[in-house]
Amino acid sequence: MKKFSFAKLLIYIFLLFMAVIYLAPLFWVFNVSFKTNAEIFTAPFALPQAPTMENFTFAWTAGKLGIATLNSFIVCAITLALSMMFGSMAAFAIGRLRWKFSKLAMTYFLVGMMIPVHCVMIPLFTRFAKVSLTNSLIGLVIPYLTFSLPVTIFIMAGFFEGMPNELIESACIDGATIYQIFFKICLPLAKTGLFVTGLMTFIANWNELLLAMVFISDDMKKTLPVSLSKFVGPYNTNYSQMFAAIIIAIIPTIIVYCAFSNQIVDGLTAGAVKG
Amino acid sequence: MDKLLRNKKAIIIFMAPAFLLFTFVLFIPICQSVYYSFCEYKGITAPVFIGLDNYKALMTDKALKYALKNSIFFLIFSCVSQLLMGLFLAAILTNIEKGRNLFKNIIYLPCVLSSAALGLLWMFIFSPKLGINQLLQKFNIEGPLWLMDTKGFIILPMWVIAFVALWQYVGQSMMLYMAQISGISKSLYEASYIDGCTRAKSFRYVTLPLIRPMVATAMSLNAIGSLKFFDLIFNMTEGGPNHKTEVLATHLYQQGFKYFKYGYASAIGVLLLIMCLVVTGFINKFVKSENYEM
Repeated sequence: MKKFSFAKLLIYIFLLFMAVIYLAPLFWVFNVSFKTNAEIFTAPFALPQAPTMENFTFAWTAGKLGIATLNSFIVCAITLALSMMFGSMAAFAIGRLRWKFSKLAMTYFLVGMMIPVHCVMIPLFTRFAKVSLTNSLIGLVIPYLTFSLPVTIFIMAGFFEGMPNELIESACIDGATIYQIFFKICLPLAKTGLFVTGLMTFIANWNELLLAMVFISDDMKKTLPVSLSKFVGPYNTNYSQMFAAIIIAIIPTIIVYCAFSNQIVDGLTAGAVKG
Repeated sequence: MDKLLRNKKAIIIFMAPAFLLFTFVLFIPICQSVYYSFCEYKGITAPVFIGLDNYKALMTDKALKYALKNSIFFLIFSCVSQLLMGLFLAAILTNIEKGRNLFKNIIYLPCVLSSAALGLLWMFIFSPKLGINQLLQKFNIEGPLWLMDTKGFIILPMWVIAFVALWQYVGQSMMLYMAQISGISKSLYEASYIDGCTRAKSFRYVTLPLIRPMVATAMSLNAIGSLKFFDLIFNMTEGGPNHKTEVLATHLYQQGFKYFKYGYASAIGVLLLIMCLVVTGFINKFVKSENYEM
């Protein structure tokens, strides 16, 4: 029989309190984004009297969040595809192929994880400006890709190292080349790893603000966080539109998170354990 | 098979894209950045070597003093608060069965959301006329100017931002500790209970020593994260009022990309880099311990 425990009750009360702290701000913004601007001040916490989608359409079109969402999506998708490709290739070389400097190469990539992006921003910007890579989405993909590689390589190398030797041996006896072994056998088997690293890469780049702000000044090429920060600024006075903009910016990640929360959490843990 | 795995050409082909990207986009720019920090470089003209002048200018820069103070406050606050809060949440979440996943996912949620958007959200919550102050008004309390007050050594806006950062990122530390705690074998706890440990004692003498390697990991992640910290501050206060909430990253952005003092901004970048390396080195030396067999 289960015993009623006072400690358990306290724990659940505390956790409910935490959940309120975490969800209330999001609900508040969500609620306000359907109101008119006047309602925010007359009835701040009530439900909207006549829910309106106007705020969303305004933010989406006039606030240029629509085009920004598209830009973000393009940049993230290209980065994702390339980082999976290049990252798992390097991870395969480090985790599976036999050469003297594989440990050293791993350290090289892991050191990169500690370097803040701020330190390379200025040289990158001046160089990209010379070859007109600023103000272009490709110019964003290159640094995003580079900063996504270490964690991809780290996680994928773990996957490749863990694969049974017999697998490669038998493929070898059947006369497969090393490229066939990689593309036809090892890569498909590491699907889970690819999925997890892909999610993490996508989320990290989707949220990146600083580089995008520095590299892109053309309104039509800005990514979501940049357009959002510009739209929601001190010169805008229509609060409900700004709130709608915030919702537009976070809704895609919330949906992805709800669908894949377990994988995201696993990936994070796996990626961080190396230290 | 050995020959196949030692294929030099394949190794080069597999490594080349990642290696070249890393070298050209990360390591060469870092060296350039260090060089620029010794130069007068305004963007239009070529960099001119001026020795240590940028670093001397750092010493007398008032905004940098605020930035450095705030960054160090931030570093200490986030390391300590994330450790305590993360461990506490992990400890209670591993102790309950029902709803563990739900609460875990709720607390982790802000980690995946854009900190730019969350910064704006909290900016509204703490703005003079909206959010919390509206709520306080209902009880006839006049709320403070959360993000504009400038009294005290560590000013109120910094505390607000620090708590928002804790709110956003504590899920990450919590997850790391939970993963480590659930890896500890049950028999160790049973043994400790037989030896007369209470729950609290077994947490102190079994759990804590066993998760110490993870403390080092989580702490160095927090430390680097808090030194890099930019998005939330940029969107909540933009370093204002009067540079009082500036941190190193926002100061670097301002000097570099508002005033185009590339040389000076590079010097701030080098300072940031050195702090990152020193802090992670420090944590790895003093917090890390060897992995126990579990």
